[in-house]
Amino acid sequence: MNTVWGRIESLGRSITENLEYTYKIFLMIYLSFRAGVLDQTQSFRQILSVLATQIYFTGWQAMPLISILALGTGGILVIQGMSNLTLLGGTEMIGNLIVVVLVREIGPLLTALVVIARSGTAVATEVGNMRANREIEALESMGINPLSFIVFPRIVGGVVSVLCLAFYFMLIAIIGGYLITQFFNNIPFSFYSESILRAFGKEDVAIFLLKNGFSGVIIFVVSCFQGLSVQKSPHEVPQVTTQAVVKSIIYVTVFNLAVTAVVYLNQLKKLGVL
Amino acid sequence: MIELSGQAPIIKSLKFEGLFFQHEANDPILMNADFDFPTNENVLIQSVQGAGKSTLLQILGGLIVPQSGKYLINDSSIVDMSFEEFLPYRLAIGYTFDYGGLINNRTIYDNLMLPLLYHKMVEVEEASRRVMEVLKYFDLEKFKDERPAHIPGRVRKIACLLRPMMTHPQVLLLDDPSVGLGQETALKFIDLVNKHRIERGLKHVFISSYDEKFMSHISHVTVHLDGGLLYAHPLDGNKAVSL
Repeated sequence: MNTVWGRIESLGRSITENLEYTYKIFLMIYLSFRAGVLDQTQSFRQILSVLATQIYFTGWQAMPLISILALGTGGILVIQGMSNLTLLGGTEMIGNLIVVVLVREIGPLLTALVVIARSGTAVATEVGNMRANREIEALESMGINPLSFIVFPRIVGGVVSVLCLAFYFMLIAIIGGYLITQFFNNIPFSFYSESILRAFGKEDVAIFLLKNGFSGVIIFVVSCFQGLSVQKSPHEVPQVTTQAVVKSIIYVTVFNLAVTAVVYLNQLKKLGVL
Repeated sequence: MIELSGQAPIIKSLKFEGLFFQHEANDPILMNADFDFPTNENVLIQSVQGAGKSTLLQILGGLIVPQSGKYLINDSSIVDMSFEEFLPYRLAIGYTFDYGGLINNRTIYDNLMLPLLYHKMVEVEEASRRVMEVLKYFDLEKFKDERPAHIPGRVRKIACLLRPMMTHPQVLLLDDPSVGLGQETALKFIDLVNKHRIERGLKHVFISSYDEKFMSHISHVTVHLDGGLLYAHPLDGNKAVSL
């Protein structure tokens, strides 16, 4: 009996902690956007400079890695897709396969994982070190709100970067996938491109923006939050960085899964299955 | 109605009423302290080591919120103010750290420019002129494009001291200002503080320091922090030794 109560208590505590964490995350988003947008005394130019730096590090510098991943993923998908669809006699479905797998599912998830690995860790470490070195306190002493100077530009820059990287991933995977396939299969480009364009719908644009936009928000809010949770000592920095990575991966994956589930259920409803 | 000097209100009084502050699991630093701080003076905060002088300066700078009681600036309680509400007062208060505090991914020049440009206090040319003037005064021009990690400790320390002075504050809180400075730079810094008092609107200076030699060059009154209480004897303090 005690064990059952103990488990219930532990579950309750875990739910409460997660709800509290989610509340704090939403509060930080609200406060940083309020401070970033509404504070008339701050120089927008200074915030823009931090934002541009964030886009450079997160977006621009990740392009080589994203290119390799996109080429590999696109190549594998088109080669495997064409060979299997040929056996089933449905090669014209290659576009649908690419849109569903690359644009809706793998693209957003792989892009988010790359951004977590490169920039989520960097942001959590940087902000954590700023706390430990009393830089955040120094900003406050100068009347500079860390939420508008540190958090706001990182979230906005992060979202812009993730959206651009995901678009770039999609482009390279589709075009690169086709080029790599040419070594094994001679598919006419007109057939390939028409199949993809036919498969694209408004829904895909909405899913693309939703998944990538929110992944960007999740990664950078969680990383900033974890970084700011450092109390005094530099030894906490690696710990909060690890937590930032773990939490970002969990939240991004769960969010992607939830969107996919909603879209899938919606499709079933349209088909009259539900 | 708040009287303004530029963007900041003119600070006339700093007062504690029943102020209590305690770091977790430590003895209280302030135990319901009532104190009206001397104004238009250099005030030395004196106590035994570890009694909480730095914390007291941080409370005076609005960087730490006390657990109870009131901190009144010009008779307005600032304890419950939001970041935005306290901003005009904050811009009138300069706080220097005993260590750390420089933004590591910015050069020394950018660190000194930051408060001026962020708050759009002056034009870029004027901000640059102010920064270059102090860098020249302390012979630090060659370090201006270096980041804090790449410069000697003495230069980091003086940059820490100079940054809050860029905005020409009315209140200056100096936490162990002479540590790591060297005699010559310390004396130059005292000259600069005096110059700010005469020409640039600096009124109230609060210093925590054990350096008797450094303090002997500054006319000051002494406030004691002892057992969580603040008090001052009318005859405590000294007149500066002429340089």
